[in-house]
Amino acid sequence: MASAIEIRNLTKSYGDVTALDGVDLDVPEGSFFGLLGPNGAGKTTFINILVGLVRKSGGTATVFGYDVEDDYREARDLIGLAPQEFNVDKFFPIQEILETKAGYHGIPRDVARERAEEVLKRVGIYDKRDTRFDWLSGGMKRRFMLARALITDPDLLILDEPTAGVDVQLRHELWETIIDLNDKGTTILLTTHYIEEAERLCDEVAILDSGRIIEVASPEELMDRGTDDIVVQLRDEPTAIPDFAADDDRVESVELDGTRLVVTAQQGGLVAPDVVQALDDAGHEIVDLEISRTSLEEVFVEMTRQGEGRATMEVDQ
Amino acid sequence: MNVDLTGFVALLRREILRFVRRPRNTFVPPFITNVLYFSVFGVILGERIDQIAGVRYILFILPGLIVLGAVSNAFENASFSIFHGRWNRYIEEALTSPLSYTSMVGAYILASATRGLVVGVLIALIGAFFTAVGVAKPFYLVAFMLVITLLFASIGVVGGLWAEDWDDLTMMNQFILRPLVFFGGVFYSLNEIPELFRQASLLNPMIYMVNGVRFGFLGVTEVDPNLSLGILSGLTLAIVGIDIALFRRGYGLTD
Repeated sequence: MASAIEIRNLTKSYGDVTALDGVDLDVPEGSFFGLLGPNGAGKTTFINILVGLVRKSGGTATVFGYDVEDDYREARDLIGLAPQEFNVDKFFPIQEILETKAGYHGIPRDVARERAEEVLKRVGIYDKRDTRFDWLSGGMKRRFMLARALITDPDLLILDEPTAGVDVQLRHELWETIIDLNDKGTTILLTTHYIEEAERLCDEVAILDSGRIIEVASPEELMDRGTDDIVVQLRDEPTAIPDFAADDDRVESVELDGTRLVVTAQQGGLVAPDVVQALDDAGHEIVDLEISRTSLEEVFVEMTRQGEGRATMEVDQ
Repeated sequence: MNVDLTGFVALLRREILRFVRRPRNTFVPPFITNVLYFSVFGVILGERIDQIAGVRYILFILPGLIVLGAVSNAFENASFSIFHGRWNRYIEEALTSPLSYTSMVGAYILASATRGLVVGVLIALIGAFFTAVGVAKPFYLVAFMLVITLLFASIGVVGGLWAEDWDDLTMMNQFILRPLVFFGGVFYSLNEIPELFRQASLLNPMIYMVNGVRFGFLGVTEVDPNLSLGILSGLTLAIVGIDIALFRRGYGLTD
């Protein structure tokens, strides 16, 4: 599959501080791609290089084959960006801001007006179209950021912490809008602190830590690397239990506390039937079973923990 | 309309609407200031001053006041608009778009020069309320007004990119622009000051602008208008070139 974003050996330094340290990354066209990392990992720097707000120190970055510096006009035309920080014109009502932004992208005024109305309706703030940005509520501001990114009908939508500080209901509404766009072919690059967001939405995630990509995988693959707890409630306290760890190397530990048995294993969902079968064969009656799955968050914390101490400086922007 | 032109017009329109919709900040202050200038310097003091360069004092200062208002507003518009956009980061709406750097610079300069010209016309109308105003050399008047507003708009772009704080903008206006204008022969004739000061004044570019516009109105000048126009045009082109280079480099705009 062709790449929407192709990055080779990308570096960015601010004096002695290295924000990006030789990043290589391919974001496939049409994918829903997550960029995860702790504060100061270089996520916003990475995004800002793509849209021309940060000048790279070295390496190459292309968007749909267009170099972000040499072919900046073509590259920027294909990108819609909803940044984390609000950076909206203070002087004009929001519909007019959208029409102006569309104009910058060469969209004629009559078409721009229709599109502005359409995106404002899509994100649910059409009735606020004559209001200035500063007068919108926090949630409406987030909706507007998405609307502004969509006004130019981008092939690549970059969302930098799109749901930061919004309530659960709005978060779900925004997710639905984004999923719908991705289904229609828009490539999406998402950075987020909400691991649940990446877990739900992304086909693939890259983990960025201290300016380096330390992993690229699907959320499922990453979660498989963590361990799940299979919690079994037995009717009677057993005198002995089968040696699960010896029979299956996916099992990492077994704990028995009265009638409660906890088997910690990789791919717990696959191990659980064997555990149930072995207990049954040994004559133990099971009254309850629960599998507590590892979260992407736990894997993420584990992976970036090694980088702790390096990512001490907030170098985004 | 082609894509490049649509983008340019969108930014130009935004920039013009920004000052048109805020007349209290943009047109009312020069209106009040110039009514005061004409009343005090033109009428109250002017009637006690002899003719200068063969014209009444109020007519002598009119071109200078127009230059003062036009260049201050052209400069202030470009520097304020760019700095405000940087400060609040909404200039990124244009920077992340496919607009070329030349289009961005062109739109900022043209809009700012337009504000300077509108203020210039406003001051001429105020002057006409106080005294009969004629135009002796219309071509020179239009040419000088165009060049000086474009020049100061393009200098304003540099100022807007260079400023790190609001104080920097105030400083540029109060400590650089205003003294240049006041010592630029707005209120007095070069022939009436000691030779040493006269020679020093010739280093002030404002002398050539004020005299150029005065030539347009009155047909009299203390310096060669064609030479002035040539030098000012060259300077404008050079600074526009610098503006474009600064945008391309991302000076003050990108990290």
